[in-house]
Amino acid sequence: MLSVPDYFQYYVAGLSVMTLYSAAIFIGFDIYEEAEHGVFEYLLSLPVSRRQLVLGRSIGGGLRAFIYVGPLIGVALYVIGAVNPVNFITALFALFLFAFGVSGMSITIAVMIKSSDRYDILMGVLDALIVRLSTAMYPLAFVQEANPLYGWIANFNPVTYTADLFRWGTGIEAIITLDNPLIPLLGVIAFFSFFTFVGIIIYERRIEGGGWQ
Amino acid sequence: MKAILHLLEHDFRNFFRYKWWLIGLISMNLADLFIMAIVYNQMINPEITEQIRSYFNFFAPGLTVTGLFASAFMIGREINIERRREVHHYMLSLPMTRTELAVGRVLSGGLRGIVYMSPLLLTCFVFLGFPTVEQFLLILMVLLFLAMGISGLSISIAVSTTSLEKFITARGLVYYTLFFCSSVFYPISLIQQLGQEGKFPMFLVRLAEVNPLSSASDMIRSFLLGYPAFSLDMIFNVLVFSTVFTLSAAFVYIRIIELK
Repeated sequence: MLSVPDYFQYYVAGLSVMTLYSAAIFIGFDIYEEAEHGVFEYLLSLPVSRRQLVLGRSIGGGLRAFIYVGPLIGVALYVIGAVNPVNFITALFALFLFAFGVSGMSITIAVMIKSSDRYDILMGVLDALIVRLSTAMYPLAFVQEANPLYGWIANFNPVTYTADLFRWGTGIEAIITLDNPLIPLLGVIAFFSFFTFVGIIIYERRIEGGGWQ
Repeated sequence: MKAILHLLEHDFRNFFRYKWWLIGLISMNLADLFIMAIVYNQMINPEITEQIRSYFNFFAPGLTVTGLFASAFMIGREINIERRREVHHYMLSLPMTRTELAVGRVLSGGLRGIVYMSPLLLTCFVFLGFPTVEQFLLILMVLLFLAMGISGLSISIAVSTTSLEKFITARGLVYYTLFFCSSVFYPISLIQQLGQEGKFPMFLVRLAEVNPLSSASDMIRSFLLGYPAFSLDMIFNVLVFSTVFTLSAAFVYIRIIELK
């Protein structure tokens, strides 16, 4: 049906990244659950700094998502076939950072909004836009051809960076025409650093001196 | 009849309590249409493009039906929660017959699906063209029956599962089987061709052919796009699905909530 060569391989790799994104988002829902049951105040009373708390939760959320998506990544590797170990380890590192970054983003938004309903809606809309305006499901050339604005957004999307790096790491870069893997890698590092840093600041400002309410 | 109207009011009030959630869901559907379908337009194989002309046009009716499915299924989630919180004892104590209660719930689930789907159907008409009055009424009637069948299916699952997690898992299984094994995303002729080439199991091809989501999507396409050819089987498939699940939901709903 599609004119993209080896689209099955292409899609399987993208699906792993999309699932990783959705799984990493879940940490935000946990925060609401904790707030509802009063666990949030308990966490704030623990002898750990706010910085450690946010960082720990981001990494925990990312790792949890990674474990969840592990079998799917295994299936993706099986479908795609042999890989270059160095490239693959770099791609795996990018996937880890991406998962931590998404968890950090999810925590930041959850703490800013403080309403599970609004959070649910916002994450749904964000998911729809961030995944569809990326190369998770289709190569960048087609996105640009469909609409230059979509292509421009997809160029700066962390999902695009991660999906392209994963494909590059698994050896199907011929389909994605990735000129320089360093650019998406830097993009993922920037995404992770931004949300971890911003997450810590917002967490401290929004929660201190009043807890969840 | 009055009791059913009260139930409709109750369920519609619940439905509009989630208005922001519904807006979020509609915007996701529209993102599928205005981003994903437009990009897929560029990727479609020229042979398929000859058949369907534009993926955007092909996908719009399918999206309307998936929107209807998702919203009509929501009644099951509410009934599952009611059952776990034991609100069903209160429902059973209301001055109405068991049949009115069951019919009211199935009907309200279906009507809520129609209300949610309306902006998507309108978008479809705006971009693909308007049907004749007779065709429009037939589309509405078939979609209402489909929505009632879906709502019945959802209620049957909701009262048969003991926890929200089990309901959500069962919902996921039903969603993905019915969505991907249908002509919502790709033409039925392509599924049949893959079946003949041995690349797709024949029982799944058969399922896609009788799937009410395929029938409803293809009926809208036949009126708005001129393909595939309209056939009475499309209406028949939806009617059978609707009758089976409306009746089974009514039966299961009453039997199970009376027992608990």
